[in-house]
Amino acid sequence: MISQNVLHRPLRTFITVLAVAVEVTLVIIVVGLTSGLMFESAKRTEGVGADIMVQPPSASIYMQFSGAPMPIAIAGKLSQLQYVQAVAPVLIQFNSVNGLEIVYGIDPETFRAVSGGFVFHDGHDLQNPNDILVDDVYAKSKKVKLGQTLHVLEHDFHVAGVVEHGKGARLFVLMPTLQEMSGAHDKASVFYIKNDRSDRTAAVVDEVRELLPRYEIRPLKDFISLMTSSTLPGLNAFINVMIGIAVAIGFLVIFLSMYTTIIERTREIGVLKSLGASKGYIVRIVMSETVLLCLAGVAGGIGLTYLMRAIFVRIFPTLTILITPGWIGRALVIAVVGGLLGASYPAWLASRKDPVEALSYE
Amino acid sequence: MNPLQMDASHAVESRLESKHTNHSRLSHGGQRLEPILKTENVWKIYRTGKVDVPALRGVDVEIMPGEFVSIMGPSGCGKSTMLHVMGGLAQATRGKVLLDGNDLTTMTDAARTVLRRHKVGFVFQRFNLLPTLDAYHNIALAQHIRADGFDPHRFEVVANLLGIGGRLKHKPSEMSGGEQQRVAIARAIVSEPKIVLADEPTGNLDTRSSEAVLNLLASLNKDLGQTIVMITHNPEAAAYGHRVLHMRDGLVVDGATVH
Repeated sequence: MISQNVLHRPLRTFITVLAVAVEVTLVIIVVGLTSGLMFESAKRTEGVGADIMVQPPSASIYMQFSGAPMPIAIAGKLSQLQYVQAVAPVLIQFNSVNGLEIVYGIDPETFRAVSGGFVFHDGHDLQNPNDILVDDVYAKSKKVKLGQTLHVLEHDFHVAGVVEHGKGARLFVLMPTLQEMSGAHDKASVFYIKNDRSDRTAAVVDEVRELLPRYEIRPLKDFISLMTSSTLPGLNAFINVMIGIAVAIGFLVIFLSMYTTIIERTREIGVLKSLGASKGYIVRIVMSETVLLCLAGVAGGIGLTYLMRAIFVRIFPTLTILITPGWIGRALVIAVVGGLLGASYPAWLASRKDPVEALSYE
Repeated sequence: MNPLQMDASHAVESRLESKHTNHSRLSHGGQRLEPILKTENVWKIYRTGKVDVPALRGVDVEIMPGEFVSIMGPSGCGKSTMLHVMGGLAQATRGKVLLDGNDLTTMTDAARTVLRRHKVGFVFQRFNLLPTLDAYHNIALAQHIRADGFDPHRFEVVANLLGIGGRLKHKPSEMSGGEQQRVAIARAIVSEPKIVLADEPTGNLDTRSSEAVLNLLASLNKDLGQTIVMITHNPEAAAYGHRVLHMRDGLVVDGATVH
């Protein structure tokens, strides 16, 4: 009877399922987009290949939000520490023209020493002050070609090379150029440290702490775990608001759908009561139909999510949308619980209908 | 002999005994037969705004097991209200309604629901089949609600008895009025109720279908001993019953008790 009832009004069922699907898609995409961006950013930072990252006191792990307050001379002191193999100072600037990107100002030699060097798809390393390296993802998404002029940070750069993605940023320029452009002479945003052996990270961290008390010293192997929505101020609230909106959509649509269903089926409810159906039986029918609609919506929502991701990534190749089983499960629970809440009043209303009045309903 | 037939023979025997003893209400064993349904000074008052509207004004009725009783009366005289009160769909405002020994007036809504589930079968003028279900599932629904398991044997017997075996896969919209009413009767009796309450079962049917349905009800009463109370406007239909109650202005004015 449940499935027959659901199929009885195909258009209403379709719209309800679609609304739940949109709800599910909204939840998974919003979370997937935020966590995907952070995850991708963290992976790139890890991809630098360093063991330790040194930032100024109270600096955010989101390096693009930090300035460049550290004297570059610190690099020399760090290099002299035991077990330290290489130190790469990096100046970071946030570019918001033609999309949001961070630009690394690097010293090619030290950056190579820490990261093992770029894998070049095309071109060569940074040589001239106006040279810029772009990674392959950026080059593909922005249709950037080797040798062309690229306008970044109000400056015209010459694209000297296209490199494999995954080394901290998508755009790399020479550090002195970036220092000059940003007025941060002899300053760096972060120091990447490479140890002579990775199992000596803890020892090096202790050494750096002694040298630079109050500085933020983070082993890179823990970096991804730190990049969660809870570490970015306001992000959790944003996600919760978006989830709230999604739940409200599902709640209202299910409420309206089941309410109109109950009104339309008043006489049937009277018939069920005349047959001896209890209030619980009628509530169960309404709730079962709701669960069926929600599950169909969740299934549709998962499909829609993957479709949306494919479209997004095609249009914006630099985007990463992380779809995890955990959040699919949470979206399912959110959709079903929201749907059941939406159906609870109509179900209660149905169960309390007077059978005589219900049977005479036209 | 299947359980249906055994029940039927027993009920019919009782009924015949009752007739043979000139409605003395004694079985052949000398035991006194108790009414399956009895109302004592039943009032039902509806409140419309601030006005009380009495639909029943002290109804006293007795229905014996195996009886087929017709109720007649002008529109608005309280026939349907009485049927609803008898079947526990509506609560009497005052008085007593005893259904198989259970006083409906002192029962909670939930308890009346359970009693209705096991002891009452309703047949309506407009059939009231669920439009989304085929005939099979409309009938099985009653057993499903009863929750003591689907009885395929009982289902088959009832379906064959009512001549709807070939229409079970059809939805109500694919059946004639007569067929729909037969499915509705099957739904009403498939759970072996003590009493069937039919509210103008031929009111929406043509003459031929009406006759078929009335013959069917008479046959159920005669062959299975099914107690039936039927509301009708039609004197010819009323004549199918053993007894006709006449109602007027919320009162039974004639035929209330077994003589």
